[in-house]
Amino acid sequence: MDSGDEIDVEKHRIHLRPITLRDAAPATLHLLPCEVGVSRPAPVERFFTPAIRQGPDGLQVSFRGRSLRGEEVEVPPGLLGYVMVMEEKPVGKQDFSAGSDREEQELVEPPEALERDFDRFIGASASFSRFTLWGLETTPGPDAKVRAALAWPGLAEAIHAQVPQD
Amino acid sequence: MKSGLVFVKLVNPCSGEGALYLFDMCLQQLFEIKVFKEKHHSWFINQSVQSGGLLHFVTPMDPLFLFLHYLIKADKEGKFQPLDQVVVDDVFPNCILLLKLPELEKLLRHVTEEKEIGKKKYYKYSKEKTLKWLEKKVNQTVAALKNNSINVGARVQSAAFFSGHQISSDREEDYIRYAHGLISDYITKELSDDLSKYLKLPEYSASLPKPPSKKVKLSDEPVEAKEDYTKFNTKDMKTEKKNSKMTAAQKVLAKVDKSGMKSIDSFFGAKNKKKS
Repeated sequence: MDSGDEIDVEKHRIHLRPITLRDAAPATLHLLPCEVGVSRPAPVERFFTPAIRQGPDGLQVSFRGRSLRGEEVEVPPGLLGYVMVMEEKPVGKQDFSAGSDREEQELVEPPEALERDFDRFIGASASFSRFTLWGLETTPGPDAKVRAALAWPGLAEAIHAQVPQD
Repeated sequence: MKSGLVFVKLVNPCSGEGALYLFDMCLQQLFEIKVFKEKHHSWFINQSVQSGGLLHFVTPMDPLFLFLHYLIKADKEGKFQPLDQVVVDDVFPNCILLLKLPELEKLLRHVTEEKEIGKKKYYKYSKEKTLKWLEKKVNQTVAALKNNSINVGARVQSAAFFSGHQISSDREEDYIRYAHGLISDYITKELSDDLSKYLKLPEYSASLPKPPSKKVKLSDEPVEAKEDYTKFNTKDMKTEKKNSKMTAAQKVLAKVDKSGMKSIDSFFGAKNKKKS
């Protein structure tokens, strides 16, 4: 899900197809220490994967002539990684984003009417329980910011857990 | 197809701006979504490349923080009101989903006074009860910080040099301040300040450790001929000037720390304000 989708959420609800979570096949993920400008298919299996070697200080590979060092990172316990893909908008359906009057009417509908015909759908295309974290020249190590982020779910649990009633 | 999971935009109870949440209609649960975002990252996902390198986290969220946002807003009218008149939002109309959450009455008891008139419940924000509730939140967060061995002290900068060693000198006060900062990302600035007073967090007076970056910065200076005494002197002068600049910066740092804020952003690679 890219950040552009957030704009949609203001007017639409984005429904997650639960069945896709069950059927998602495991995927291989690499987090690179560089920005590749566009998102598109890439022959990873042909160029990147066969070049990965197990070195004395972690995994080794090169990308665009630069040497990378990598390490496996586990998804925090109790969690599962998903790759989410937004479904294309069905053609022929009207976009109500300009008609605010119509929006207002939707609000007074009972909340049971969860799905509305201008809502959008998102589904999981793949799942993962680990990924390979790559650093330029050296392994990212324990101080990598992404590792700090992976500690967040454990802390969030405590912040949001219900407190005992007096 | 009946879908139980829905992404919606709701209010961020701290900033008042919009934020993305996930709502589980089957489990009747609210989740918040945070994004890890650091410069210069991309994903390889199977046979494709995805720019940006974003990693989204979906974690359970206590809906009471969102209710508080609306309760405090409604409290300006200073009267008891039914919940469906409190949770009203033109900007984020999906807030009506909150009213579907189970055991709301029990939940709201933590932060409101309630009245029952003709089988209908009326609520009013109670600051006193809210502060008590927040104190419990801080306490359970402190416990989690200790369990997760997260360094909270100001000494964490110098401690980084001895990686792997557990810092035994983290004081209880540092944990409370850190937890207060985390909770403050879910409440208004005003309530955060009130909570700080309620927890009796003292003004931050402890001397900050000297930034270790000084030496590194010095090495950036072009190396001068050692024999030339005059030049060596001027270089020393420069160094001193730099040091005085540092102290000014430290003062700013100390000011920042006074509020005791430790933002959740520190977990998500956002620019850390503390680092110059």
